[in-house]
Amino acid sequence: MASVHAIPSLDEQYEFTAESKRRLIIGIVAGVALVGLGAYLLASGAGSHEAHHGAAHAAAGHEHAGAHHEYKWTTRLWANVWVNAVYFTGVSVVGMFFLSYNYLAQAGWSSAFKRIPEAMPAFLPVTGLIMLAVFFIAGHDLFHWTHEGLYDPNSPEFDPIINGKKGFLNKPFYLIRMVAYFGLWYGLWRVLRNLSLQEDLYGGTEYYNKSIKFGTIFLVVFGVTSSTSAWDFVMSIDTHWFSTMFGWYTLASWHVTGLAVMTLTVVTLKEQGYLKWVNQSHLHDLGKFMFAFSIFWTYVWFAQFMLIYYANLPEETIYYRERFSGYGEKYLVTFWVNLFLNFAFPFLVLMTRDAKRTTIFLKIAAWGIIVGHYFDFYNNIMPGTVGEHGGFGPIEFGMILIFACGFIWSLSTQLTKANLVPKNHPMLEEALHHDI
Amino acid sequence: MSHITSPVRTPLVTGGKTYADVTEDVSRQVEGRPTREWTIAFTISVIVLIYGAACVFWTWWEGLGVWGLNKTVGWAWDITNFVWWVGIGHAGTLISAILLLFRQKWRTAVNRAAEAMTIFAVICAASFILMHMGRPWLALWALPLPNTFGSLWVNFKSPLVWDVFAISTYFTVSLVFWYIGLVPDLATIRDRAKSKVSRYIYGAFSLGWNGSAKTWARYEYISLILAGLSTPLVLSVHTIVSFDFATSVIPGWHTTIFPPYFVAGAIFSGFAMVQNLMLIIRVVFKLEDYITFEHIESMNKVITLTGSIVGVAYLTEFFIAWYSGVEFESYAFINRATGPYWWAYWAMMTCNVISPQLFWSRAIRRSVVWTFVLSVVVNIGMWFERFVIIVTSLHRDYLPSSWAMFHPTLFDISDYIFSFGLFFTLFLLFSKFLPVVNMAEVKTVIKSSSETLPKSVSGVAKGERVTKPAFNKDAE
Amino acid sequence: MAESHGSASKFLVGIFDDDDVVLKAVKEVKDAGVRIHEVYSPFPIHGLDVALGHPRTRIGIAAFLFGLTGTLTALTLTMYTEKLDWPMVVGGKDSYSFPVYIPIIFELTVLFCALGMVGTFIVSNGLGPTVKPLMFDLRTTDNKFAMAIDLGKNKLDETKIEQILKASGAAEVNVKQF
Repeated sequence: MASVHAIPSLDEQYEFTAESKRRLIIGIVAGVALVGLGAYLLASGAGSHEAHHGAAHAAAGHEHAGAHHEYKWTTRLWANVWVNAVYFTGVSVVGMFFLSYNYLAQAGWSSAFKRIPEAMPAFLPVTGLIMLAVFFIAGHDLFHWTHEGLYDPNSPEFDPIINGKKGFLNKPFYLIRMVAYFGLWYGLWRVLRNLSLQEDLYGGTEYYNKSIKFGTIFLVVFGVTSSTSAWDFVMSIDTHWFSTMFGWYTLASWHVTGLAVMTLTVVTLKEQGYLKWVNQSHLHDLGKFMFAFSIFWTYVWFAQFMLIYYANLPEETIYYRERFSGYGEKYLVTFWVNLFLNFAFPFLVLMTRDAKRTTIFLKIAAWGIIVGHYFDFYNNIMPGTVGEHGGFGPIEFGMILIFACGFIWSLSTQLTKANLVPKNHPMLEEALHHDI
Repeated sequence: MSHITSPVRTPLVTGGKTYADVTEDVSRQVEGRPTREWTIAFTISVIVLIYGAACVFWTWWEGLGVWGLNKTVGWAWDITNFVWWVGIGHAGTLISAILLLFRQKWRTAVNRAAEAMTIFAVICAASFILMHMGRPWLALWALPLPNTFGSLWVNFKSPLVWDVFAISTYFTVSLVFWYIGLVPDLATIRDRAKSKVSRYIYGAFSLGWNGSAKTWARYEYISLILAGLSTPLVLSVHTIVSFDFATSVIPGWHTTIFPPYFVAGAIFSGFAMVQNLMLIIRVVFKLEDYITFEHIESMNKVITLTGSIVGVAYLTEFFIAWYSGVEFESYAFINRATGPYWWAYWAMMTCNVISPQLFWSRAIRRSVVWTFVLSVVVNIGMWFERFVIIVTSLHRDYLPSSWAMFHPTLFDISDYIFSFGLFFTLFLLFSKFLPVVNMAEVKTVIKSSSETLPKSVSGVAKGERVTKPAFNKDAE
Repeated sequence: MAESHGSASKFLVGIFDDDDVVLKAVKEVKDAGVRIHEVYSPFPIHGLDVALGHPRTRIGIAAFLFGLTGTLTALTLTMYTEKLDWPMVVGGKDSYSFPVYIPIIFELTVLFCALGMVGTFIVSNGLGPTVKPLMFDLRTTDNKFAMAIDLGKNKLDETKIEQILKASGAAEVNVKQF
């Protein structure tokens, strides 16, 4: 339609106000306080769970048998850090993923708000360092496969199956991979980001063409590392269990969460008076992306579940048993919350065209997806690490708060560093006239 | 519509075409006499079809014993061919539905032929389902009909029954989608038609279309919804085909990555087939200005992408077979690579994973010869993929005493040839009697994507048709 | 087409060469106080229906209801056959096990939705194999755009409207009677 588009002044600077900084600091302080409170409660109440131990063990099968020496309350603390770190790593790297495939596909419309995905990966070093630290401090508690005895035929702990995975699951190789993931993702993002900033300064299509190249390189790298990192970060926790789908399943989860974070950021910035040139058509498309990839996540979830359910092989079904009926049905609620918030909710909220063009519905759906996929990772990590000692209390809530505030801080800082309009982007003109 | 297009985009229509040119260039071979090339190709196809049909008839008459199946290998070429054809069919829906949702303008020139290909490929696939039943007259037993032997129903828990629903739904919806897309173009041909017969036939099939703004608005709306429906549908079809294997507990079949990996492989092979068909069509029908190197290059990029996805899936399967520590699973994969069918495995790997990587070179991506050859290679590879999955997993039973090999007979091969005869006969009929390029949609991108825009985009109309309107004579 | 033409009506048909011109002309002609009957084009013009003031289509609602019918049909079919009429345990699953019916439920939902929606489209537009198209100009399926104005429903006289059409870019103005 030939409706009149407000021609933006080609400069718009995001301001990270003292007020928002104050709020984020309060959030982090509150998060730390909550974690402290939760830790105090756990530390003083440790051992009270022993009564449930036996029953849950029977359901959990032999996965943890023998490995479950003393449970320490700190495991839950570290497991929480791990859940959030994996989750926010995904959100951050999806910013880069989104940029890269938009370059490769020569998408025009997304250049109107490309500064937002571009700002997301800046958080990667933070989560990367946190994950390295957690692995050094508490790897032994979180990852069953780090136990030396599993690989020693003379040890009572010896596990021939896990011993067979030694070539992949060993500490040096694991650390090399972890450093490689973050190094490659972050490094390639820096390249793309610099090209984008230089394009702002000098113009010309040279930067655009280079960006396509580096975006493609990232996609090749990410095509492999997205799967392997999912095996490393999440699947290896349930050391015996395996699923070929797991890599793509995690990618689907990360991707849709990243899209929801992007949408929420765009909408919030618009409400603060920024991004005037982002019109209803852009929002509509973002809504479609969230809608479609929520369904895609559901598809992948269902395909994995269905095949394991149908074939009914004990070594595979144990995974869903633990989450469905294991540990005194501790994870049953989050199992259903996961499905509801990540499929039914966005599906129903975003079904109509009008909803996808209305900011309030977009915000509701984005929040649903963001919260829902936290539970996706919660449900994939917690049963294998803390099992019957899991739960949702101040420690979980506080940890989310710390990470979320940290992420927002990083995102806001990055947004201030560049013009919100990528003013020399060759697709910008198309994006400003985007109309569907 | 805003026609603002970024200068970095390459044009999709060359030669400064006007709207009238589009109509003329595409309608030409529908209205003209069959060309010599077409007649020769059609004759060959019909001969192949007749030969194949005789062999299929004999397969049914004599029984499935004429195939090389044995007690251990109970599925071989039949299901390989079925999955292969269904896979090929996926590209059409991908182009028409997913690329419509993504608003990729280059799809406009190729979607019509790709969708036609989908429909014919699904027909070929279904023919193998009928063939492998052995008694096709009892095919209705696959439908949930109350039968005369008591109230036993079909087993809805079986992936084979899901397949019946998936394939028939897919065929129906694809056909409807294709037909709805054809209606405006059929109206164009109706209004140009000179003979009474074609005016009547194209008139009936164009459903009285007159291109009013209201109809167009609704048409665009339902096209989007159909695309929205077809997208999960196309995923579901190959997902369910993969369920045929993956729900069972046969090593090499039961693996959770199968659904998306089958879908990626399907799109991969389908695009290769679209390339083959379009490369011929653009030359024979002189449509080089519409199916440009941009189109070929875009499709080659999709081939590289999906081929790489398939490659990642192969490696994932291999890795997890080792990682799982399940000895049967590990054996199945080692047997694939080094067992008696090693040649099939390495044919698959070479054709599917390695050869498409050549498309990283821009020169190869834009070369007609390379594209054609590599597309054929991809389709050979994808046939071998299904053969590897089916036959190498089956030929090693859990009981070593049942281990066997599969040897195709003349009828295995001839029944496969039958499907080529059927496919090309149908496709050639389509290309002669229906517009192979979606004229209405190409006209919508002329302004935004032409290399050079003519002074008047409308072009010259054929005066004769204006003075002699075909319809509403009674009203005048 | 769906519009009924009881008595013969006289139309003024403005022929345009360009889709952008006709879109602009719609606004101009409307502003000049002329009621436009309909615009005909060889391809969809983005925003034309809005410019003409056509209400938004409600086919989506029909599609949703058809889809829902398909879902319910699949649920009923599987529930009746596998649970009520002939309970059967296959592969260690309960006689009614919901996850395995999801493929059937999905396929029938899509099938009913697609067929129902296209059926609604054909019926609501008055299309059909025996329908004679109401063509104001045969070139509108080729390269021209026609704006039809029903003289019977307009107060302005023929010459005035013709002037308005010409002024807004019509290449020719013809008279058509039905």
